[in-house]
Amino acid sequence: MDVYEGLEGEKVLNLSRLNLDNLDLDDVGEERKRDTQQLFLVYNRFIMLPGSICHFSNLVFLDISCNRLAFICEDILRLSKLKTLVAKNNRLDEFSLPKDFGTMSLEVLNFSGNRFEEFPSEFLNLQRLQSLSLGGNRLKSIPAEIEQLTSLELLYLGGNSITSIPPELANLPYLSYLVLCDNRIQSIPPQLAQMNSLRSLSLHNNLLTYLPREILSLFQLQELSLRGNPLVVRFVKDMTYDPPSLLELAGRTVKSRNLPYKPEDLPGNLVRYLDLASKCPNPKCGGVYFDSCVRHIKFVDFCGKYRLPLMHYLCSPECSSPCSSNPQSDADSEDESSVPAHRMQKVLLG
Amino acid sequence: MEQTEVMKPETLNDLIKVLHQIFSSDTVNVEEVQNLMESYESKPQEWMAYAQFDKFRYTRNLVDEGNGKFNLMILCWGEGHGSSIHDHTDSHCFMKLLQGQLKETLFEWPDHKINGGMTKKSERVLQENQCAYISDSIGLHQVENVSHTEPAVSLHLYSPQFDHCNTFDQRTGHRNTVKMTFWSKYGERTPFVSSY
Repeated sequence: MDVYEGLEGEKVLNLSRLNLDNLDLDDVGEERKRDTQQLFLVYNRFIMLPGSICHFSNLVFLDISCNRLAFICEDILRLSKLKTLVAKNNRLDEFSLPKDFGTMSLEVLNFSGNRFEEFPSEFLNLQRLQSLSLGGNRLKSIPAEIEQLTSLELLYLGGNSITSIPPELANLPYLSYLVLCDNRIQSIPPQLAQMNSLRSLSLHNNLLTYLPREILSLFQLQELSLRGNPLVVRFVKDMTYDPPSLLELAGRTVKSRNLPYKPEDLPGNLVRYLDLASKCPNPKCGGVYFDSCVRHIKFVDFCGKYRLPLMHYLCSPECSSPCSSNPQSDADSEDESSVPAHRMQKVLLG
Repeated sequence: MEQTEVMKPETLNDLIKVLHQIFSSDTVNVEEVQNLMESYESKPQEWMAYAQFDKFRYTRNLVDEGNGKFNLMILCWGEGHGSSIHDHTDSHCFMKLLQGQLKETLFEWPDHKINGGMTKKSERVLQENQCAYISDSIGLHQVENVSHTEPAVSLHLYSPQFDHCNTFDQRTGHRNTVKMTFWSKYGERTPFVSSY
């Protein structure tokens, strides 16, 4: 969303809808070129970003949406004060950007409605970037290096062909608005549950069948959209269960019986193995598991409103929650740690 | 039936004036209101002050309280923003596109005898200046800005006024009563103070 505060008079130059294919600035005085902070070139016929643009030395905001841009030349790098660049609905792709694009001090970048098939690597160096939109492109994935955009607060990637989310996305410390709707995402990495900054998560129209149980810990989340996903509606029986190895059984016994041991007592690899124990979420079990676990789908009544299918891991098929001895009650029962109402104010399930 | 001779409103203020006249009577002629609203050609300078967007979700911005007979408001939908499935608390609802496009999906009221969710009746994409109408007797709807590049702005009229409605879970038909709030009134931002 680019809502800009219009500046008065000479600081704004609006050259939109003028059928321009070049930027002849002969009629623009030197003072005007210096004073202009916002430039609109929307709905024209530019194929390249005009080199003369660098005469606007104090430009802070540039909107060149709805042209035929296939290429952004290096001249843009001379706009050292540029903070916002909007170039929606053009013909840009990951080869369109100048090599040193990442050195700009951009804070807001909107390249929605273009032809990006890959996340441009030049973006990943934009340390000051707060808002990035690549909606309506042809992206198939999100690079793990997205975590380098440490100032990012808003990330709009709706309307692409993304199939999975890298767990590194969770490392963005200030991300509050994440849009992944209208993609082909099949699962959510549980690491996303660490994102305490997240206030709005848009996941509608994807291929999700369940959510990771950990998602309940997103206590700052106020908006969550899940409509148009093939979320499982009824209790699904355990999927696969490989019997645990002897190593696993021994490890479980050591951990669940609290058998004392010192690092000197065991080979280093076994000490490390024991440290990897995961606690079974069933509070009545108190057991642990290592590699052998059962994927179990449990329905959580969300603020007393909607039933969300959440996936969690149990230590064995026999292990379950108090009321879940029969499938019917599983569909109706409440999770023992269901989120209090004030934690999630609105869930949009279409 | 007597038909009021209505001139095409040139400005938003003209539209509001005529709406006040029409709603001073006790009965509402749905077609008349719909045609009137559709005939106003959207001019952004006239409503820009009410078009206040939120980055997380759509906003409701009150424009006029219609002498208690109706609420006229402007809704601002960022890219990808949408509503849940909802009803209209026994009121008339008119929705006109001022900018961009909105997809409207109609649903039947949930039937608890049918297992497996609510029935979609139809969907359409409303274009700029088009005006749609819905009421509880027609059914329920969900409204979304499906564009990933353009925000949308719509003008809504509700009569009688209401501030609660029900939202519905498409998968189960389960309903929930929600309180509706305004992001701004008469162009002034009015934050909602939660009772939590």
